[in-house]
Amino acid sequence: MFDAREDALAGARQHANWSPYDNNGGTVLAVAGESYVICAGDTRMSSGYNILTRKFEKIDKMSGKTLMASAGFAADAVTLKKTLKARCKQYEFQNKREIGCVAFAQMLSNTLYYRRFFPYYAFNIVAGLDAEGKGAVFTYDAVGSYERTNYSCQGSGQALIMPVLDNQLKTVSPLVLPAASSATPLSEQEAIDLIKDCFATAAERDIYTGDSVELWIMNAEGVRKEEMALRAD
Amino acid sequence: MDVVFGFVGYDFAVLVADRAATQQIIVQKSDEDKIAVVDGTKIMATSGPRGDCVAFAEYVAANVRLYRLKYQHELDVKATAHYARNELATALRKGPYQVNALLAGVDANGPELYFMDYLATCHRVNTGGHGYGGMFCLSLFDKHWVPNMSRAQAMELVDLCVAEVCERLVTAPTEYLVKIVDKKGVEVIEYDATERLAKRREVQMQAREAARQAAARVGA
Amino acid sequence: MSVNLDLSFLHDTERGAASTKYRDEALQGVSNSVHASNFTAPAVEDFDAFQREVINYVKPAHGTTTLGFIFEHGIVIAVDSRASQGPYISSQTVKKVIEINPFLLGTMAGGAADCQFWQRNLGIQCRLHELENGKRITVRAASKLLANTLYSYKGRGLSMGTMIAGWDLNGPGLYYVDSEGTRLKGQRFSVGSGSLFAYGVLDQGYRWDLSVKEACELGRRAIYHATFRDAFSGGTVSVYHVGKNGWTKVTGDDVGELHFHYYPSEKIDEDSLGGLGKKEAEERAAAEATAMET
Repeated sequence: MFDAREDALAGARQHANWSPYDNNGGTVLAVAGESYVICAGDTRMSSGYNILTRKFEKIDKMSGKTLMASAGFAADAVTLKKTLKARCKQYEFQNKREIGCVAFAQMLSNTLYYRRFFPYYAFNIVAGLDAEGKGAVFTYDAVGSYERTNYSCQGSGQALIMPVLDNQLKTVSPLVLPAASSATPLSEQEAIDLIKDCFATAAERDIYTGDSVELWIMNAEGVRKEEMALRAD
Repeated sequence: MDVVFGFVGYDFAVLVADRAATQQIIVQKSDEDKIAVVDGTKIMATSGPRGDCVAFAEYVAANVRLYRLKYQHELDVKATAHYARNELATALRKGPYQVNALLAGVDANGPELYFMDYLATCHRVNTGGHGYGGMFCLSLFDKHWVPNMSRAQAMELVDLCVAEVCERLVTAPTEYLVKIVDKKGVEVIEYDATERLAKRREVQMQAREAARQAAARVGA
Repeated sequence: MSVNLDLSFLHDTERGAASTKYRDEALQGVSNSVHASNFTAPAVEDFDAFQREVINYVKPAHGTTTLGFIFEHGIVIAVDSRASQGPYISSQTVKKVIEINPFLLGTMAGGAADCQFWQRNLGIQCRLHELENGKRITVRAASKLLANTLYSYKGRGLSMGTMIAGWDLNGPGLYYVDSEGTRLKGQRFSVGSGSLFAYGVLDQGYRWDLSVKEACELGRRAIYHATFRDAFSGGTVSVYHVGKNGWTKVTGDDVGELHFHYYPSEKIDEDSLGGLGKKEAEERAAAEATAMET
């Protein structure tokens, strides 16, 4: 059944407490509006109590309308993004159009789940504009369960930032009947300011968040980037 | 905790199983059928995780049927038991079926009962049981089972066993299913444990009352 | 006894191969032919120990209350919407009812990713069945497809407890399927960490001849009480009804608001529960005492 495992084991000797994982920390966050989406992440990468670099970008553009941000184990995150970019290209050649963010979201879910027994130790957020141009955020667990939301935060600062976002942005649940609009009430600029505040706050209390925060802002005009310095201690 | 037992009679064999499907402390269902019909004259009661039991019983039944179609020859009870045992033995070396079974059937050799467990033990017996429930029954069988029992005698013995399980076993199931197999086929008996136990209790109460009166007479 | 049958198909591998060939071609590119070989396995000697280690790292989303029951006018399915990773609530808006097709619903409890992926896979299998046979799949067959899939992954650490509910030629059908490979047909099930609390309200309130409105209210009330006692359940209560024309979502209520719908006073004081006042109870006790004497 599991051929790969047998191949890998053939002739290999293994250290008793070998582990393929590390946690490099970091926080990523995304907020969707009626006609924009903002994806943000800090740029610190750590291992244990050491800071490895202050300029590690956790956000990538996967296709014209899709951004992806990952926290957790950097090696897995990089591998995952590389694989997905290749699959996006394949999709483009097969279908003669770019992959949309909703399709990409499901592709990521499947990709993660196919590693159900050897997971990518990465915590991901996908941000993009859907077919109607509305902002969309998809949030994942490490083995591929996902959900479309209006805002999400993952990584080491999750427990610090998520309550703030709930407080500022929480709207009626999409499960409630009769259905009510659940769009984020903030303007683009207000959302940018809120995100910067969130990261500044998280950097005060989380040792794995800091150095600087990059914001990718996507709307009908395209994508632009902003950056703000955070505490470097 | 499954309760499964059975024995052979004059020209038939009886299997009894409780009807509860449980998950830890929850009874999820009390009308489950744990006695699979392998073919017209063979039945198999299973005990263990439901997934394994159903998979194993369906697999055995399908292959017995396939054999008949392929060779136009029906497996007798002994052959079926040895086939099932071999499957358990094969499975034991690669993530076993956690299935304990009682296979009963009637063929040219008369009624037969085979005891099987997940370790692929297989033995022909007159009486058999699995789990803690089965253990209460085994001693009753040793005392009360006799060769060539009639159906009425058999049902009395079933009553005795169910009554004992209900009295002594923690978390004893309340519903039971009885299947009797003979050369004509499989008969499913709607076994109302509450009614049968109430009847038994009535008899006991009468006996106790009679004993009390007798004692009073002696005293006087 | 001996009727001669043409059993050549049993040995004829060619014909079998041809029919699966088209199927395989159809599946190509859709990438839904889920095979164990598609799953990357770790190069470790002790698979189980590795899975235990991984669980510590990835903490998959868990915790739920779901219920479903058959009554005179169809089936009611009710679920909460909370997902937690350890003590952290990772979402309050999880969709735990999966709409497989207009006549079939699945519920999820256990690992969120496991449930989402395999129910999505079941949706694909059901649609393929529809295309191959020109008619909708029965609830019995759909639940068996899922049970067979899960049974083949037994011992690999999947965690799922689901119900498959729907309406087909045989009327309403409800099955419980879990990752141990168990598949049970039944009238009334509750699954998940809050199921014991839900069972309490559900079993005592259940009647075969409930009206649709009463049944939906019973489902909602049972889940509400489970969210009240079980820390791993919460969010919103969603209630679905399955009738002969397919399923409809009947209600969706935020538990925070539902609480005040059931208990409108700000504080749950004992007076509001409808018992006797202390004075009345004393009078009753006195009356009972005099009745005993006479």
